[in-house]
Amino acid sequence: MRFLISSLILLLVGCGSYPTKMGFTEADSIALTVTNPYFSDTNTDYVYKAKIKVFNNDLGGILIIKKTAPAAHRIVFTTELGNTIFDFSIIDNEFKVNRVLKEMDRKILLNILEKDFKSLLHEQAEITKNYTNGHSTISAATIYGKPHFYTFKETQLERITRVGGQKEKVVFLFSEISNNIAKHIQINHKNLRLQIELKAFE
Amino acid sequence: MNANEAATLRATVKEKAAATKTITSDFIQYKHLDFLSDDIKSTGKLAFMAPEKVKWEYTTPFAYSVIFKNEKLFVNDDGNKSAMDLSSNKLFKQLNRLITASISGDMFLSEEFDISYFKVDGKNRVHFIPKDSQFATFIKAFHITFSKSGEVTQVKMIEPSDDYTKITFSNRIENQAIPDAVFNQ
Repeated sequence: MRFLISSLILLLVGCGSYPTKMGFTEADSIALTVTNPYFSDTNTDYVYKAKIKVFNNDLGGILIIKKTAPAAHRIVFTTELGNTIFDFSIIDNEFKVNRVLKEMDRKILLNILEKDFKSLLHEQAEITKNYTNGHSTISAATIYGKPHFYTFKETQLERITRVGGQKEKVVFLFSEISNNIAKHIQINHKNLRLQIELKAFE
Repeated sequence: MNANEAATLRATVKEKAAATKTITSDFIQYKHLDFLSDDIKSTGKLAFMAPEKVKWEYTTPFAYSVIFKNEKLFVNDDGNKSAMDLSSNKLFKQLNRLITASISGDMFLSEEFDISYFKVDGKNRVHFIPKDSQFATFIKAFHITFSKSGEVTQVKMIEPSDDYTKITFSNRIENQAIPDAVFNQ
């Protein structure tokens, strides 16, 4: 009987939502939307030195992001010497490949990049639920049909987590923040050996 | 530029390239993308040893160096070191050869480029348009500016989108011994 109860508890915890698994409880909130401010200024060129670890390979380059219109971003990745590796646009949530180096023109790879950039750049989303653990809050939202959780410390967005089957798929960590620019961004894939580190140009 | 002036420039550059065994120089790189408010600026030092060793060392705003040597590319990305064999990669091999050639300026290869000659603000500028269609999808044109004495002062690599990378050289020192260790990763 005891075994049955503990199994049941485990099962219930196992089936809990991502925030409750993380020790958060549901909270009331008056906020209706969640905002990611880090790529929201059309006057700013967001330029980062990128280090990508994919499987056992290291790849470097410059990631350039610009908000070009209220619902549009341009994303260009170049080598340090300036040659374009890829050039994408996201306009009204539609992903468009403007250019990609032939060697990287693989559907599976482009799909991963599309999802990551949509998670990274999406500016405002409707909150479905809020959670708190006393120190931080988590706002749940669905963007491009995928559940995302936005973790705030006070009012600072520190983390976006894309979740599938209540498990972390990709975590975006923002740090060294000043004037709505995250000078350090870490993107960690949990079910792929892919890590991306971005450091803002000074 | 008329045909005579072009021939004189070619001869001066070839002579200069043949007499140049080493170069060290500072450089400023500007990456221009049409949609950006400002060009992206980075600076560093270049070292070249004939016939084909090249080191680009970026110092600001990030520490990064790339060495082309013996058909290999060695990268040191702020302490993370890696190497790539270029002999199997036609595109990179071609790019490497062109980068080497564009430092010395001796890339007057009419079988590989359509070449045209200009005088702009008193300076000699040569446009190299790649003939290889695969390479042209990567780089549409090289514009190289030469000093009167045949030194490369600026290289502009233009992409098919018309965005470009412009590199200007300064404090150039020729034929001063460069320790081999400079080209070790």
